[in-house]
Amino acid sequence: MSQNSVSVTVRDVTKRFKNTKGREDIFAVRNSDFVVAPGELVTLLGPSGCGKTTTLRMIAGFELPSSGRILIGEEDVTLLPPNLRDTATVFQSYGLFPHMNVADNVAYGLRVRKLPRAEIETKVRAALGLVGLSELADRAPGRLSGGQQQRVALARSLVIEPKVLLLDEPLSNLDALLREQMRIEIRRIQKSLGITAVYVTHDRVEAMSLSDRVVVMKDGIIRQIGVPSAIYSEPDSCFVAGFVGKVAFFPVRVESAGEGGSANCTLSGKAIRAGSAAAGLKGGDEATLMARPESLRLADAGEGAVDGRVTANVYLGSSVECFVGTDYGEILVQIDDLSASRLHAEGAAVSIAFDEERVRLLPTRAD
Amino acid sequence: MLDRKKLARLALVAIAFISADTWIYSSLRGAFRSIMSDTRFKEITLFAKTAPRDAAAQADWIKGAADLLAGSRSVYLAVEASGELAVAAGDQNLAALLRTDAEQPDFKKGIDSVRYLEPFVSTKEYSLASGPGASGSGRIYFAPVPDDSGADIRGALVIFSAASETDRFDGLLLGLAVVALVIFLAIYSVLAFSRDPAMGFAILGLFAIVAAFVAYPLFEALRLTFVVKGAFSLGIWKEILTPRYLEALWGSVRLGLWTATTSTLVGFAFAFLVERSSARGKKFISTMATLPVISPPFSLTLSIILLFGNNGLISRQLLGLSHFTIYGLNGLVIVQTIGMFPIAFMTLSSVLRAIDSTVEDAALDLGASRLRTFLTITLPLAMPGVLSAWLLVFTNSLADFANPLLLSGSYRVLSTEAYMEVTGRNNLGGGAALSLLLLLPTLTAFFAQRYWITRKSYVTVTGKPSTRLTELASRPVLIGLLAFVGFCVVFIVALYGTIVAGCFVKNWGIDYSFTLSNIPEALSRGWKAIVDTVTLAAIATPIAGLLAMTAALVVVRATFFGKRLLEALIMTPFAVPGTLIGIAYILAFNKPPILLVGTAAIIVLNYVVRELPVGLETGAASLRQIDPAIEEAARDLGADTPTVFRTIVLPLIRPAFISSMSYTFVRSMTAVSAIIFLISARWYHLTVQIYNFSELLRFGWASVLATTLIIIVLAAFGLMRLLVRDEGLTEKTISQ
Ligand SMILES: Nc1ncnc2c1ncn2[C@@H]1O[C@H](COP(=O)(O)OP(=O)(O)OP(=O)(O)O)[C@@H](O)[C@H]1O
Ligand SMILES: [Mg+2]
Repeated sequence: MSQNSVSVTVRDVTKRFKNTKGREDIFAVRNSDFVVAPGELVTLLGPSGCGKTTTLRMIAGFELPSSGRILIGEEDVTLLPPNLRDTATVFQSYGLFPHMNVADNVAYGLRVRKLPRAEIETKVRAALGLVGLSELADRAPGRLSGGQQQRVALARSLVIEPKVLLLDEPLSNLDALLREQMRIEIRRIQKSLGITAVYVTHDRVEAMSLSDRVVVMKDGIIRQIGVPSAIYSEPDSCFVAGFVGKVAFFPVRVESAGEGGSANCTLSGKAIRAGSAAAGLKGGDEATLMARPESLRLADAGEGAVDGRVTANVYLGSSVECFVGTDYGEILVQIDDLSASRLHAEGAAVSIAFDEERVRLLPTRAD
Repeated sequence: MLDRKKLARLALVAIAFISADTWIYSSLRGAFRSIMSDTRFKEITLFAKTAPRDAAAQADWIKGAADLLAGSRSVYLAVEASGELAVAAGDQNLAALLRTDAEQPDFKKGIDSVRYLEPFVSTKEYSLASGPGASGSGRIYFAPVPDDSGADIRGALVIFSAASETDRFDGLLLGLAVVALVIFLAIYSVLAFSRDPAMGFAILGLFAIVAAFVAYPLFEALRLTFVVKGAFSLGIWKEILTPRYLEALWGSVRLGLWTATTSTLVGFAFAFLVERSSARGKKFISTMATLPVISPPFSLTLSIILLFGNNGLISRQLLGLSHFTIYGLNGLVIVQTIGMFPIAFMTLSSVLRAIDSTVEDAALDLGASRLRTFLTITLPLAMPGVLSAWLLVFTNSLADFANPLLLSGSYRVLSTEAYMEVTGRNNLGGGAALSLLLLLPTLTAFFAQRYWITRKSYVTVTGKPSTRLTELASRPVLIGLLAFVGFCVVFIVALYGTIVAGCFVKNWGIDYSFTLSNIPEALSRGWKAIVDTVTLAAIATPIAGLLAMTAALVVVRATFFGKRLLEALIMTPFAVPGTLIGIAYILAFNKPPILLVGTAAIIVLNYVVRELPVGLETGAASLRQIDPAIEEAARDLGADTPTVFRTIVLPLIRPAFISSMSYTFVRSMTAVSAIIFLISARWYHLTVQIYNFSELLRFGWASVLATTLIIIVLAAFGLMRLLVRDEGLTEKTISQ
């Protein structure tokens, strides 16, 4: 199957919802433009209402783009109704057919395609086996647990062997442990079938751990596209930096661009070198220095770049999160190596030092 | 979606179709015209030959020409000694026209042709000054009257024929051509532009149905109240807006005010007992309070007459009253209250159920007395519901037709006046005007109920009914209420019992001896009506059910231009009194383009259109509970809209589907107000048969038929209960 994987192209798509009652129109998606490579899993990540579901529904055919085109493989499917597209969607609420048992739910797409009875039976059995639900074939969906329902929805979508799998927050109704298991499961199945997938979530951990690439959206606009590690450590904006992980921001002034993408800046007069910088920053600019908790260290007062007092220590088992009150607000420092690092008591005066290779300069923008 | 290529193609196709359409239209019209004038020429030529020589007889003979062509006018021209043709007899106006316009080429040619023994028709149309016979414009025919030799003429016949007949055909043809164009373009656009053609066609189809069978008849009814003898006139309204009929309007309103008030009071008593007290036998009480809602028309009136009529069992036999009369306002209020308090009961009990009784507990807890709690908490919270119930009953009372028909006596209400106007005086326009008059208070109440009251509701549906019950009534109040409700229940049971008893009594009022002979007699006389009624209801039921569910899907799930209009048109028959619909149907469908009067189709259509609103509401309410993702999932898996409808939507809203079908069946079985205008010798209705028997004072037969009807109705409801019983499971899981 992996041979005939197809790409999905979203080309300059805008979706505008006409709003009745005299209110303004809503631009749910603005000039969205990205390509999902064959066999790739791309996540749409963003806060609530940023247009993720709308994008997905346009790929599935439930919404019509106001402008722009959508291609599956080479075929322009912009106007094609959902039942004629080679996509299968796993809905957030699953949308299982309550009047059919599990096997009939899974068989539905095959029956619509008028496959021979025997073939339907084998395929359904295989699909249920794939998601580990073989014993529950006769159950009514209303009598399944959330995780089981989720698997039925997945099996129902996979059994028709779609070219594109679309998942809209499929795990949001599950508890944390099950979520992790299902995440791994979905990834395994998607990889083994070589299916192209678009996955919608607002959970950054899910997005980071699951995807080949992540599309970060806000207010209907794509803010950044990239592999998870790049999104995490080399965001282009404060919004992306903040959305995909814990981060501390410091207002700085850019002094000069250094070598290999690095840059020099000053934070309240203190010179700091940042390992990387977003494109377009030049000397004299106001900028923001971003630092992940793991790229900060605690030092004795006066030795680091920013002084402050410890306000709380939160023990997480393998690590400690230490909160430090500073002039720039409360800064989180992650301490991984409990034996080597000295822990500071609450109220103690400390200083925060940067791991200069891992901090990054970002343009300051009000977002 | 609206890309240029498609628009261009649409334009091309439209132009092609329009030219084809126009060509077919004009050639058909031409062919028809020539056929018409050919036959006319023949007839006229033949008639011309019969012209008498005797000048005195000619005047009579020429009058016969009017029979030849309806509404024509003619003159006879005789050849004078000078060889000139001159008017010898006939219509003065036409003669004048011939004289004044003698130099017209048309007329000259006419006279010339006649001289060569050839008939001729004017190429232009002429209009005649008004006079007896046809008015307006028309063509003029010239026919020779040959002499004995056959080689020359002795006179000529000139006939003016108004164009109306050909015009009507032309109009019809033009209408057909335009309709064909509209239908073609609509279908083509749906296919070309809609991503979901099935849904597009469903929308188009619904629009077509409501346009043809809701909007058109009502519009016709309104239009024809302004038309007298084919011309605009306010005559009908001048006649209707006179004291005689305004008294009937006031009669309707007064009856409505009384019935609405008493029904709301009775309904509140029942609802309060069921929802706010710990009295036992609530299930029985609420069954008794809903039972009358399905009682067939005339049945309650019939038993009231049997008990309290001029020869009634109670009024005459037991109490010996001789001056008492049940006919009139009092009797009507009683029957309507029994028939309509269930509406109030159902509204009020759901309102009371929705009021969280912890609010009342809180008031009691704060030291308020029970009465005070009721007056300051329960009643204000229930007030929108009370008003809503009152208005619902009010609308129903105004629209009621069956009860006043039997029981109004000399009291006059609009619905029966309209009926009398149509059947008694054969004045359809007047009947339409009267029932339109009825629309005034009805619509006011309907809109007030729907858009004003429902918006003011304070009731918050918490979703979890409180199980704890506050005893809000003190003991004496409770006993009083129980006594009152008990009395009502006994009365209702007695009424139904009377109908059954009536089946077995020889001659009610005179001879109370037991007999079984009513049953075979009534069944054999009413058999055709029974078969017709069941057949037509059975045909209408699945159609209405499927249509209602389709409409529900369209209204809930589709977005399109004109959705609100469609919804409003579908809902209209719910607010419009049946009398108006019945009159509107005979007015609209007794002529082309839709000629249906006397057929089964008009009755079935009437059932379908009238029951569609309730079916739509039931289906829509049920569909709104269902996660749209379920249907989207089915579509996503490859099912087109019809498949989704068949395999997903219909099974999921099965309870609504079945209940709307059983509702349609029962309502069609018990219909009367509109149906009484639409029945014919070919298709009769059971309720009308019951009415006829009652009018003939054949109360035994009427009772048998009423009982039969009640049994059929109860059976239908029983069947529905059976079919929907095991749905609890599905319903619970639908909204996941
Ligand atoms: N049918 C609609 N009509 C009008 N506005 C809509 C419609 N559907 C979505 N929107 C609006 O478009 C915007 C994007 O909605 P969308 O459902 O795509 O968000 P989302 O990113 O999926 O959010 P969430 O994470 O909460 O699911 C929102 O502001 C929403 O209110
Ligand atoms: Mg969403």
